[in-house]
Amino acid sequence: MCANCGYPAAPGHWTDAGASDPGERMRARFRRARLLNTILRPYGLTAHDGGLIPGVQIATLSGRHEIARDLTEVWVAAERFAGAPVDPLDPRFVSAGSEAT
Amino acid sequence: MAARSEGRIRMTVLGGYLGSGKTTWLRHQLHRGNFKDALVILNEAADAPVDDTVLGEIQNVVVLAGGCACCQARGELVRRLREICDARSGLNSHEDRIQHIVLETSGLADPGPIVEAIKGDPVLVHHILASEIIVVVDAINALDQLRSETLGRAQIEVADRLVVAKIDAARDTAALMRLLATLARLNPGATISAAARGSAVSLPDYDGAEPEPVAEPSQAATKSPIFATTLVLDSTIDWTVFSVWLSALLHARGDDVLRVKGVARTSAGRLLLQSVRKVVQSPEILPDQNDRLDNVMIVVGRGYRAEDLRRSLQNFAVAGRA
Repeated sequence: MCANCGYPAAPGHWTDAGASDPGERMRARFRRARLLNTILRPYGLTAHDGGLIPGVQIATLSGRHEIARDLTEVWVAAERFAGAPVDPLDPRFVSAGSEAT
Repeated sequence: MAARSEGRIRMTVLGGYLGSGKTTWLRHQLHRGNFKDALVILNEAADAPVDDTVLGEIQNVVVLAGGCACCQARGELVRRLREICDARSGLNSHEDRIQHIVLETSGLADPGPIVEAIKGDPVLVHHILASEIIVVVDAINALDQLRSETLGRAQIEVADRLVVAKIDAARDTAALMRLLATLARLNPGATISAAARGSAVSLPDYDGAEPEPVAEPSQAATKSPIFATTLVLDSTIDWTVFSVWLSALLHARGDDVLRVKGVARTSAGRLLLQSVRKVVQSPEILPDQNDRLDNVMIVVGRGYRAEDLRRSLQNFAVAGRA
């Protein structure tokens, strides 16, 4: 395994189960990175997946960054950077108003 | 045992905490031909049952959903059992009668009141003999549950037989020894056996291990009650949205979200998803068939509001379209 990027990726995180072929998997990765980016933006974080190496790069606006191999690691990294866990039950996600955005 | 049942249906109550491995164990037992010709009754606290999908290939399954048989759905259980007994009494002598019922309780059920309800019912007491209470104990999570909950303790205390499941996955040997010693102290009368993915394995020797002091009932009573929420994954919520949302939820609220299970339709097939606290099993791909329960997820937990859960998932779906 490459010590820098972790390739080949550890098999079978549960969140990776929803795609059947390589193309589908790649599309799902890009879509996931876009979604993560939207979710993490209010926390001052960005998510980027270039598709070249396994994992998602989580970065702060000041440039600190970390590659998370799977979604569990994404939330661990986000908590460390943001200082608090990204909680889907946080008022910002459960208020009716945010649905309209 | 057979002599004592006097023509009554023997009933095995299978209990155990949420996600302890009851259905996995039962599936393996049925596959091995144990409980042969038994009628299996599944009770689920949630409105939408999932376990009958897991046990799908087995014919005699009756589902009792929408409430836990030890409390809200106790009347319903008694009614269904009376129907079963009525139908059985109406059969001719040469027809095969049900000899055995296996009742798999919901993870929130205390088997004690279920057995009491049957013994206390003037009709059922003549037809059904609650012969055995088997309680499945999770080798990984049970110690934590015993520390924080009185329910797990109540289940263990009423058991005739304790099956320690997932023993192959329990890496912390010292904790496992402590768990076994704790079980032996809580219920010295029960036989303890071990299982890995449903098959019986030998029980490790736990002589000399120190039992864990378990929670006093007063401590757990201050916590809010556990409830089940049904989430429907409509067309706006695909696997990407759901997996991102659930992984975040489990990371932030893994101690409150006790159990998630359901079937999601994805391009890879029908995925059976199950989690216990923060641990999510690799999703199992189910045979392709249309089921009314596809894209329905059950979340069992406490400390949040059901509508917040739904709204939060919707908001993640909105973010996914952005």
